[in-house]
Amino acid sequence: MRKLVVLASSVAILASVSFAKEVKLGVVMPMSGPLAAYGQTCNEGVEFANTLAPTLKNGDTIKLVLVDNKGDKVETATATTRLISSDKVVGIIGALTSTNTAQVIAITDKKQIPVISPVATNDKLTEQKEFANRVCFTDSFQGAVVANYATKDLKLKTAVVVVDQAQVYSLGLAKAFTEAFKKAGGTIVKEIKVSSGDKDFKAVVSQIKTANPDMIFLPMYHPEVSMITRQAKQIGLVKPMFSGDGVANQTFIDLGGDSVEGYMFTDFFDYSAPPTQKSKDFIAAYEKKTGKKEVNSFTALGADSYNVMVNAMNNCANPEDSVCINNEIKKTVAFEGVSGVINIDKNGNATRSAVIKVIKDGKAVFKSTVNP
Amino acid sequence: MDVTIFMQQMVNGFSLGSMYALIAIGYTMVYGVLRLINFAHGDIMMVGGFLGYFGIAVLGLPFGAAVLLSIAGSAALGMISDKIAYRPLRSAPKISLLITAIGVSFFLENAFNVFFGGIPRAFPVPPYMEEMVELFGLTMPVSAILVPVITAVLLVVILWVLFKTKYGMAIRALAFDVGTVNLMGIDANRIITMVFGIGSALAAVGGIFWAVNYPSVEPMMGVLVGLKAFAAAVVGGIGSVGGAVLGGLIIGFTEVVVVAFFPELGGYKDAFAFIFLILILLFKPTGILGIDFEKSRF
Amino acid sequence: MEISIKKDQWINLAIVATALWFIWFASGHFDEYTIRILNNIAIFIILAVSYNLINGVTGQFSLEPNGFVAVGAYVTALLLVTPEAKMYQYAIVDPYPFVLTLHANFVTALLLAGFFSALLAFTLAAPVFRVRGDYLAIVTLGFGFIIKILAINNPEVTNGSLGMNDIPEFSNLYWTGGIAIIAVISVLNIVNSKFGRAMKAVRDDEDAATAMGVNTFKAKTLAFCTSAFFEGVGGGLLAALLTSISPDLFDFFFTFQLLIIIVLGGLGSTTGAIIGTVLVIGGSEWMRFLDEPMNIFGHETTAMPGMRMVVFSLLLILIMLFAREGIMGKRELRDLFKFGKKGGK
Repeated sequence: MRKLVVLASSVAILASVSFAKEVKLGVVMPMSGPLAAYGQTCNEGVEFANTLAPTLKNGDTIKLVLVDNKGDKVETATATTRLISSDKVVGIIGALTSTNTAQVIAITDKKQIPVISPVATNDKLTEQKEFANRVCFTDSFQGAVVANYATKDLKLKTAVVVVDQAQVYSLGLAKAFTEAFKKAGGTIVKEIKVSSGDKDFKAVVSQIKTANPDMIFLPMYHPEVSMITRQAKQIGLVKPMFSGDGVANQTFIDLGGDSVEGYMFTDFFDYSAPPTQKSKDFIAAYEKKTGKKEVNSFTALGADSYNVMVNAMNNCANPEDSVCINNEIKKTVAFEGVSGVINIDKNGNATRSAVIKVIKDGKAVFKSTVNP
Repeated sequence: MDVTIFMQQMVNGFSLGSMYALIAIGYTMVYGVLRLINFAHGDIMMVGGFLGYFGIAVLGLPFGAAVLLSIAGSAALGMISDKIAYRPLRSAPKISLLITAIGVSFFLENAFNVFFGGIPRAFPVPPYMEEMVELFGLTMPVSAILVPVITAVLLVVILWVLFKTKYGMAIRALAFDVGTVNLMGIDANRIITMVFGIGSALAAVGGIFWAVNYPSVEPMMGVLVGLKAFAAAVVGGIGSVGGAVLGGLIIGFTEVVVVAFFPELGGYKDAFAFIFLILILLFKPTGILGIDFEKSRF
Repeated sequence: MEISIKKDQWINLAIVATALWFIWFASGHFDEYTIRILNNIAIFIILAVSYNLINGVTGQFSLEPNGFVAVGAYVTALLLVTPEAKMYQYAIVDPYPFVLTLHANFVTALLLAGFFSALLAFTLAAPVFRVRGDYLAIVTLGFGFIIKILAINNPEVTNGSLGMNDIPEFSNLYWTGGIAIIAVISVLNIVNSKFGRAMKAVRDDEDAATAMGVNTFKAKTLAFCTSAFFEGVGGGLLAALLTSISPDLFDFFFTFQLLIIIVLGGLGSTTGAIIGTVLVIGGSEWMRFLDEPMNIFGHETTAMPGMRMVVFSLLLILIMLFAREGIMGKRELRDLFKFGKKGGK
């Protein structure tokens, strides 16, 4: 059976190969297992960007090779090795979480294959790693955005931080926020630890109510945050609540219902106010294909990982020269992506604007843009 | 901490514990007749939640009808899984059965992931469930009262079936000795399948309540809940229906109350069920209401 | 009789020599992807064979290997990562001073990894073996889970959920394969010794074994500690192979995978554990084509990522239905060639 498949596909490849070359890009994403939801959302963007721009400017076709890592480190390592050694990819997009991305980078850095991470925001990830890049902002930037907005624009003085012990994302963001908030003159009255996968936060919301802060910062993902907002509303806890990009999707609003009215969060871009021509085109094409125009941030960042990678490849004389691609990625300046204007510095970190959104009448509404 | 907050936490713990209890009953009954840790039970609960979701959001059924659909579908799924994956292995080593149970569990999780996607879907909760009511000075949503009440009703029904009907007698007999039951002219396989049906129906109710309380469904929602419910069944004394309920309530209370009083232990919350389990088994190796396995059950 | 023992020894030597030759050949000739899969297989052989000692040979249904593997992996990581790298890695809180002073070479790190896992097993043995059967299973599952939670909640030592990174990559096929051979030989020697007979007696009927004068607690503890030692070493090898570990790796799914391996191969059979490892670890890599778009008779199907795991679970059920005692049952490889002699003791 498999032989037949291989035979059939190799015949198909042979037939097409005579016209244009095929260049392979690897994608490592959790498509099954506990992280599958996010992996699927992000990969949707990578694949959709590929269907919109499937060729390089020299006419070569870009073929995506998606490998599922089940959200697991052993599988991530195997998948990355396979992409490099068997599939001979010139670059890799992935992985989703910071721990698995660290695993990808541990291998690619030795093999000199550039990685672009769509959504891994942990500060440490790209430090001392030559071939690691990302299109999202870092936790410290995002944490500072929220802290400054809360203290300067909203004049809030005390905060409770609820941190998800099991998520690197949450710990990094909580730390960044805490530092920036204190620096801006605020006080953290309480830090509460929870674990992802928890469903019951009634004890947590009661504690927050007792602490009576000006605001609550919840640097977590939407399933847990939506539970907290619902349970907070049930006990009558009404305070300004903030999150990072972990809640930046429609599912959060669906899950939270009217308990998330007034909820504020940082995001990479806003589909209702597309920042670039590219995002307009992307959203239009996306709406045509799926019937909805609510492009998730993870989807947009997945698309931009692909776009930045392809842009770098186009800037190289030989689009299969991985070292050149990596150098070009780090020279990305004022790149108009789906999620906004992206600059990537020599450390591989993106400097880009963030937007603050507020949920009004069941819709995330653009509130303010914060530039780095 | 004032009395109101304390009472509020008690209600929360009771509500959470009732959900664990509903799922734990299925574990304990299957274990009673088959000595099988049915690792797929948590995933049956997930399917129950999904069926409820499909019933309301896709078929447009009213909540009650969706619950019935979910119960019927899950019970059927439980019985089918028994027929395909467990029944052919009745005489095989117990551990082979356990592996097929893990297989069924992986299959359900991954099939739902591939065909319906892993992104959590918002569960359409009927508005009256979310209405807040005042009771003894405490405010709580209707669902927080409904869960324990329905659990209690179902518990009474289960105990009635077990102790007052001939099927119940057959189930209890089966827990003693399969061979003898067959000699008595009772089709043991039919009874075991029935146990799977009952257990899965309860899991479906648990799954729907879970989906109502934390209004979403996703393919992995049953994994940790299932494990904790199993721990609950063991804490209470596996094989005993009353024990399963007791264990579920204990673990539900612990999770809520310990986090409320010792917030710095919040990070260890998921471990409480297991720490409790280990402590209880150290002092009473058969669980609280446990019955020595070589003797009797239920 | 003597001749046959000698013949057996020659066969054993030949098998070991072939394995060594294969390791040498593979290291020089195979591509990195294949070598990584072989590394994974070698490490999982160590884990499966030693897990099989407690679960299959001694018949104590325990579900804790993820905990012991985690202990081994963290001990190794803490000993191998340089103090400078640690200073820079601990992002959440500063590490305890003693964490920075830890340092050792690879062999010492692996031995200590095994030692600490075995020590933990020894401490746990007394409380854990108070219970039997499925109670034991859930208690040990609980211990494995608690170790993961401890790793998350003690960032001063473990760097929390971010885990340890930049672990020097010492593991290669010579290490993983070599230690796998040592593990298999050690376990087989134990199984065939008087301790092994005591372990099997415990499995077959614990009460009868006690009545016969077998110190069942001692037999169980020995099996538990040996198994923990090799699981710790395997964890250390895994850490030095991946170069990056975090608590989410040591979930109970890790244990389930090992359980599937040893039951699929045949509980109690060391050969079975090896076959099971190759099938599960190698097979799930091979089945990756299921996730990709397929070209069936010129018709391109859409990719269904995750399909691999659906098929994997179905195959698992099917194999168990048709080979209910696993592929090898309780037999070893050599039993298959002993046609004339039944139940060779």
